[in-house]
Amino acid sequence: MKRIAFILLIMLALTGCKNYRVVDEVQIIQAMGYDVKNGNYIGTAIYPTFKQGPMTKPNILTTSSSTTYDLIPRLSSKSALPIEEGQLRLVLFGEEFAKGGITEVVHSLARNNKIGSRLQLAVAKGDAEELLRITAKKTLSDTLYLSNLVEQNIRAMNLPKMNLHLFLYNYFGKGRDPFLPYFEKKGDFVKLEGIALFKDGRFVGKVNLRDSFLVKVLLNETKNGMYQLRVADYRKKEESRVLLQNLFARSRYEWKKRGERPVLTISIHIQAAVKDYPSWLDMPQKNTLKMVREKMEKDIETSVKNLMEYFKEKEVDPLGIGDFVRSQTRNWNEEEFYREYKEIDIRPHVKVDIIQTGIGE
Amino acid sequence: MNEQGNERFLISPFLVFFIIHCSQVGVGVLSFQRAVMKEAGHDSWMSVIVASCVVHVLIWIVYKIFQSAPNAEDIVSLHAQYLGKWLGNLLSVLLLIYFFLLALTVLRTYIEIIQVWMFSLIGAWQFSLIFLLLTYYTVLGGFRVVVGLCFWGVVIPLWVILPMLFFPLEYAHYRNLLPIFDHSLIDIFRGAKAMTVQYLGFEMLLMYYSFLKHPEQSHKWAQWGNAFTTLIYLIVIFISLVFYNEEQVQHIIWPTLTLAKIPEVPFIERMEYIVLSIYVLVIFPIICLAVWSVSRGAKRIFSIKQRKSVPIILSLLFVVSLFIVQRENIEKLNMLTSKIGFYVVIVYIPVLYIYISIAKRFKKTVQQ
Repeated sequence: MKRIAFILLIMLALTGCKNYRVVDEVQIIQAMGYDVKNGNYIGTAIYPTFKQGPMTKPNILTTSSSTTYDLIPRLSSKSALPIEEGQLRLVLFGEEFAKGGITEVVHSLARNNKIGSRLQLAVAKGDAEELLRITAKKTLSDTLYLSNLVEQNIRAMNLPKMNLHLFLYNYFGKGRDPFLPYFEKKGDFVKLEGIALFKDGRFVGKVNLRDSFLVKVLLNETKNGMYQLRVADYRKKEESRVLLQNLFARSRYEWKKRGERPVLTISIHIQAAVKDYPSWLDMPQKNTLKMVREKMEKDIETSVKNLMEYFKEKEVDPLGIGDFVRSQTRNWNEEEFYREYKEIDIRPHVKVDIIQTGIGE
Repeated sequence: MNEQGNERFLISPFLVFFIIHCSQVGVGVLSFQRAVMKEAGHDSWMSVIVASCVVHVLIWIVYKIFQSAPNAEDIVSLHAQYLGKWLGNLLSVLLLIYFFLLALTVLRTYIEIIQVWMFSLIGAWQFSLIFLLLTYYTVLGGFRVVVGLCFWGVVIPLWVILPMLFFPLEYAHYRNLLPIFDHSLIDIFRGAKAMTVQYLGFEMLLMYYSFLKHPEQSHKWAQWGNAFTTLIYLIVIFISLVFYNEEQVQHIIWPTLTLAKIPEVPFIERMEYIVLSIYVLVIFPIICLAVWSVSRGAKRIFSIKQRKSVPIILSLLFVVSLFIVQRENIEKLNMLTSKIGFYVVIVYIPVLYIYISIAKRFKKTVQQ
């Protein structure tokens, strides 16, 4: 009798816990865009509506407000179903918005317990809304298009690892600055154009997709990435290109501070496969291979140098060089380091090993 | 004394391993990184080790106290013997109030986490009612049932929660650990002070000492229990150090739960919900053990039957937890409990030991 009373009591208490959300009775936002126009913020949400069977149709909601905080509540006032942000995969910022600073939005995302750490953030050239509209159109018709595109490029191509967690890591951490993927509208498509660089939460510059391969290698992500190099033929006086696929790369930093100018030596070792090469380059012959290799090494060295000059000029540190120096020096001081950031003498040393040329010759 | 002879109430020495470990690792492991890393930065792991060494010594002292006073059954009779009836009982009551606070803190903090992470609309009373009814059921089952719960409260979470903490190593920055010894010794000891409160809970040994079958043999198990706790804390702090950086951690309230956001499997996208649900098994034995300690103490001091005291204690817990609603107050409660606990173990236990050994020597000379 006592036991039954006990169970009944518990059941009574459980009736309070009716905190459920049924999948087809909520509107699951999968991508969200932020823009600013004439001082007004515009929020764009893209969500799938489930029609018959597995077919989904992307839909778009937009709203504008004078603050970023109430964009999602305002979206609710246009939606028949409650809006759920738990499945949010990508947040896209318009270029204007990103220049004004994305800190507020990112902080609120970081505080929101429903949002996963693997959420992708990105910057769009022009309007975020326009790009999201393209992905919702008939040709693409995919609510997850942009987030899948980013993830695919991280896994297999030139994009270094990034997501909400890494953005916050780079944003809060001393001696490093965050970066995000950068999208551009190309006709009826959206194209990944490279990396957008941030300084204190503001968009300040960008790196193209070719150089983002270098960023990836310099961040010590060992695998994947494609890099195209120029090789000139002395005899024919013509310029052609070689396409390199990174199989395994490693970069090592060395910090020396003797005399006035601090020196940062970067040794990069790339083990690569050659994907495409011009016909005059007879690959299997040893001396041409050596020639190509040396060419590549020199080319990458100058590219790294140029890239670093660009970072210095923009005063950003996406590679976390400050953090590296911190791990080498006691009582490292952030301000002191960045005061002489521009003075650092960067010496890249590149070594390329060609370990595959494919199955044909 | 009547129970000491009765074998069926006693527990095997090795189970002390589980009781010690289980009572130490509670809600603190979800959030301790922040406080420690604020003081010792990336050298925090040293603070964890220093604090652990201190606790090893303290456990040794607790065993020494009971060995030097073989007539004492537990802390209550020890107090009565050495400090007289009034002062002794007063101290015992204060200790029981501390154990009550311990139960309250763990309960309220866990409910807060549930509210923030899972059900923002759930009222605290709904959850604590169910929880405390279960506690009632368990505590009245006797000490052996509580110990059984401690056993499962260690074994199950170990297999479910611990492996999930390794997934974030995908984003590890091992360079964060360098340079070693970048902080002064003072910083490291400050971190160790913040860390010591995470080892609290072992002092309930003062209450259940008489329930151990061969107390001398259980000493090594108690030490192993503490060593295991250290291992868990070290694993968590290492993973947090390479996954976050010092500044980032200061913006996260429960870094360990945020770590659990990283693993992703096709059928369930967010692991922190699983971790939180399983975490009931970590929290529940602590509350049971604390409530049991209070009721046991009440029985020893005022000779109130546990069947009568447990409902009173639980309803007090229920009512008090209703009044602590704001996050600020929960934080204050945590601070208060850890402060009291810190002084109980760091000051009170060693002083008691010194007092007892002096008193004994004094008695001996008087007798001669």
